[in-house]
Amino acid sequence: MILGIGFSDPMLVGLIAVAVLMVLVVLGVRIVYAAAAVGLLGLVELLGWGPAAGIVGTIPHAKSSNYALSVLPMFVFIGYMAYHAGLTDRLFDAARKWIGWIPGGLAVATVFATAGFAAVSGASTATAAVFARVAIPQMLRHGYDRRLAAGVVAAGGTLATLIPPSAIIVIYAIIVEESVGRLLLAGFLPGIVSALIYALIIMGWAMLRPGQAPSVGGFSWRERLQSLPGISPIFLVVAIILTAVYGGWATPTEAGALGAAVVFAVAVARGTSRRAVQRSLMESAKLTAMIFSMIWGVLIFVRFLGFSGLPEAFTGWIVGLDMPPLVVMILILLAYAVLGMFMDAIGMLLLTLPVVYPAVIALGFDSIWFGIIVVKMAEVCLITPPIGLNCFVVNGVRPEIPLSDVFRGILLFFIADVVTIAVLIAFPGIVTWLPNLMSG
Amino acid sequence: MSRDSDSGPLMRRLDRALAPVEDGATLIAAFAIFALMLLGVAQILLRTLLNAPISGYIDFVELSMATMAFLGAAYCQRLGSHVRMELLVGRLHGRMLWLVEAFGILVALAVIGVLIWYSAQHFMRAYTLGDTTIDARFPVWPSKLLVPIAFSVWFLRLLIQFAGSVRLLIDPARERIGVVTAREVMEQAREEIEEIMGEAPGEGDGRR
Amino acid sequence: RAAGVEGPSLFWKISAFGNPRALTAGMEEMARRVAEDTDGRFQIKIFYGEQLSGARENLDGLKLNAFEGAAICEFYHPGKNPAWTVFSLPFLPLGDPEVNRHVRSRLFEHPAIVADMAQWNAIPYVSGLLPQFEILGRGKPPLRLEDWKGLRVRAGGGLGDAMERIGAVKMTLPAGETLTAFERGALDAAAFPFTYAHVAYRIHEVAEWFTTNLAPGSAECGWVLNKQAFEALPPQYRDLLMGYRDLVMDVQLQRYREADERNLAMFRERMTPITYTDAEIARFRELGGKPVWEAWIAENQDRFDARGLFEAVWALAEEARAGR
Ligand code: NA
Ligand code: NA
Repeated sequence: MILGIGFSDPMLVGLIAVAVLMVLVVLGVRIVYAAAAVGLLGLVELLGWGPAAGIVGTIPHAKSSNYALSVLPMFVFIGYMAYHAGLTDRLFDAARKWIGWIPGGLAVATVFATAGFAAVSGASTATAAVFARVAIPQMLRHGYDRRLAAGVVAAGGTLATLIPPSAIIVIYAIIVEESVGRLLLAGFLPGIVSALIYALIIMGWAMLRPGQAPSVGGFSWRERLQSLPGISPIFLVVAIILTAVYGGWATPTEAGALGAAVVFAVAVARGTSRRAVQRSLMESAKLTAMIFSMIWGVLIFVRFLGFSGLPEAFTGWIVGLDMPPLVVMILILLAYAVLGMFMDAIGMLLLTLPVVYPAVIALGFDSIWFGIIVVKMAEVCLITPPIGLNCFVVNGVRPEIPLSDVFRGILLFFIADVVTIAVLIAFPGIVTWLPNLMSG
Repeated sequence: MSRDSDSGPLMRRLDRALAPVEDGATLIAAFAIFALMLLGVAQILLRTLLNAPISGYIDFVELSMATMAFLGAAYCQRLGSHVRMELLVGRLHGRMLWLVEAFGILVALAVIGVLIWYSAQHFMRAYTLGDTTIDARFPVWPSKLLVPIAFSVWFLRLLIQFAGSVRLLIDPARERIGVVTAREVMEQAREEIEEIMGEAPGEGDGRR
Repeated sequence: RAAGVEGPSLFWKISAFGNPRALTAGMEEMARRVAEDTDGRFQIKIFYGEQLSGARENLDGLKLNAFEGAAICEFYHPGKNPAWTVFSLPFLPLGDPEVNRHVRSRLFEHPAIVADMAQWNAIPYVSGLLPQFEILGRGKPPLRLEDWKGLRVRAGGGLGDAMERIGAVKMTLPAGETLTAFERGALDAAAFPFTYAHVAYRIHEVAEWFTTNLAPGSAECGWVLNKQAFEALPPQYRDLLMGYRDLVMDVQLQRYREADERNLAMFRERMTPITYTDAEIARFRELGGKPVWEAWIAENQDRFDARGLFEAVWALAEEARAGR
């Protein structure tokens, strides 16, 4: 006992802990340490030192040795290998040849190329980084407005987390104990819908301001067809992951392993050096350690929340509110928008879901639908100020485009994202149709 | 950098002594990821072609995950890759920066220190009282033992960084050794790009 | 009847996994009665959904004194409770619910069963009285034992071993993933406690047939208490808890029965029942029973009196039958 409150008022302990955690996070204490430290202290207050520290000592191993999580290193590795397999350039090249002729053609091509790359990459910042390098110079060369060029890459990057494979969606599935496979499937159509809405809004803009986004034509059908074989590994990986998850012939981990092996083979065949492979593996190991640390660190805090009874109380409060569930949902999404301004997406989900999720379910929302909505929200936060990581990434790769221009270029896509979220709320079937199809 | 006390060379030696240990541990984790890929492919092939799934596959994967989850954690800390909110730290300079840094690392030291001891207890229970996986009944203790081992390396890295931060707190003008500077978010973004692009920026282009 | 029990104010936490269900209904009733009898002084709260501990770490949590009671499933962590794995052996004579109840209640006092828990600072409290498993499946119904050859069956522990001996391919899957694997052809059949667990994991939604009398075995998912916390209780509280063990079992059985009534009618409506002849059942037992038992005894004899424990099951079952 530290404060001497103990179990006489566990809710109060829970609220104090949440406040302390927020202070530590703002002070820049890394999430794993802040969450674990506050979780430990909270448990000590409730249980005393021995049981508290003992429980905390079980969590890293217990929570990491979960078969469902083993898909994460596979998804991380696929992304690194996809870059080395040269898929980025080939994708953009093919998209340019096929749809460059429409209004805003190169920007639309960028959207579809990022959507394609999303099928082999689970990280939006990574996707934004590689396309900033491949697509922006071409768009600038053809006289595209640099704000639009930067914006489309930053926004297109976010598609990577909706379209499977996606680390964030896996983490959501694990926290809320949903089937990883069903959630991965659920992200597919909303990812496509997001891409289509991006494309439509670009085309609309290009028709208003043709000078800022000219179309690029003049490719023969032969050139177009020749661009396809180079990107065939993408289709193979999409086919593997979707049919495995949908058809149940492999677990997500096994499908991830097969997908990674395919992309790895292509990368090696296209001349990737041993050193580059080793380096990609090291980076995958680092990213994996980072993700797992955050998971178990936050789960220490969540274990404390379980003892405190705070999530139950929050659920009771939310359900007791005299408001239509949809209004509550919109308020929750706005809260995520604010949080997302300051926090990393995975950290945000890990920290909030244990409290928010039971309330959302008690309100009668579908858990798969909410997962996709909340991941989309987290992605919107990746392109909004003050900390739109994707915008920093674009600016980092293309220092000649000032950050202020990147953020201005994002505006169009922010509107598109709001439209997308509204569409997903109005037509939840876009999310749930595919996974429901699976259960026959 | 004007006047460096005697602590500089020592700090650098410690920093450089620990790095190969961290690199080695991460390399093991990296190979585990590669092996997980091969094992997954093997499992699919054996099951679909021969209807003979690798027995104990899930149990084995679960036990091996400690390798991937923990062995890279210290390396991750050395490179400053554990997630944090940079909003405030990114704007601090001089003594204030090193004070906040030292505080954050102190929290980390406390947490990881407690975890080393109590994850070792968790291992000891499995070792002395018995614990096996659900299906193939593999002993769990080797996997649990990895936690205190990996965390001990992590703890040493934190100690070096703590000493480094305190050293700069005393005199911010000293050369930055054994610390991960509070990088601004922009720098973090730039680093993520490097991660993606691999070693040499030109390599990707030269291949085609 | 026990109202007005005096004593100190206490708050007990029980760690459970999953949602409130038949298995937890008895404990909820017990907690309600205890609070009533002590005028709210002795509060017992069941925390669901692994809030307090992962299912596989519940025994660690008791050892650490983090909570005062827990639900455990012996087959989640066979190495932590080797003697308890006797409950997973196939073809134990526990098909009759009353016999099952008698045998399990008495086994909860057996030295080997008690010793397993003692090392985790736990004492056995009440058996979950899991019903016998039956198998639900999809595709061509295995009307004869030979038909099981090559079928992929989700079955763990000794039951899985028994299924392997009649040629089935044993698969291990988390219960929650079973439906997904099942309906998409990665799995042909699944064994769960019959009937309620099949419904809990929605296997009945995709299955096309079910076995009615295979009764291949069961497992133990039951309740244990924190030994140290229990011993620290004033005697009147201890008596109160122990006095409600029958109540817990009554409620559990009542809930299983209610579930069976609903489910069996539904099962018969949408699935083909498979009933084996006595000769076939005898042959299955011959193949999947004795060899598995002997292997289990040989494997465990040096850790505890495995043969003694195994024979106690049969003796207690005999006793239960004779006592009626
Ligand atoms: Na993706
Ligand atoms: Na943001």
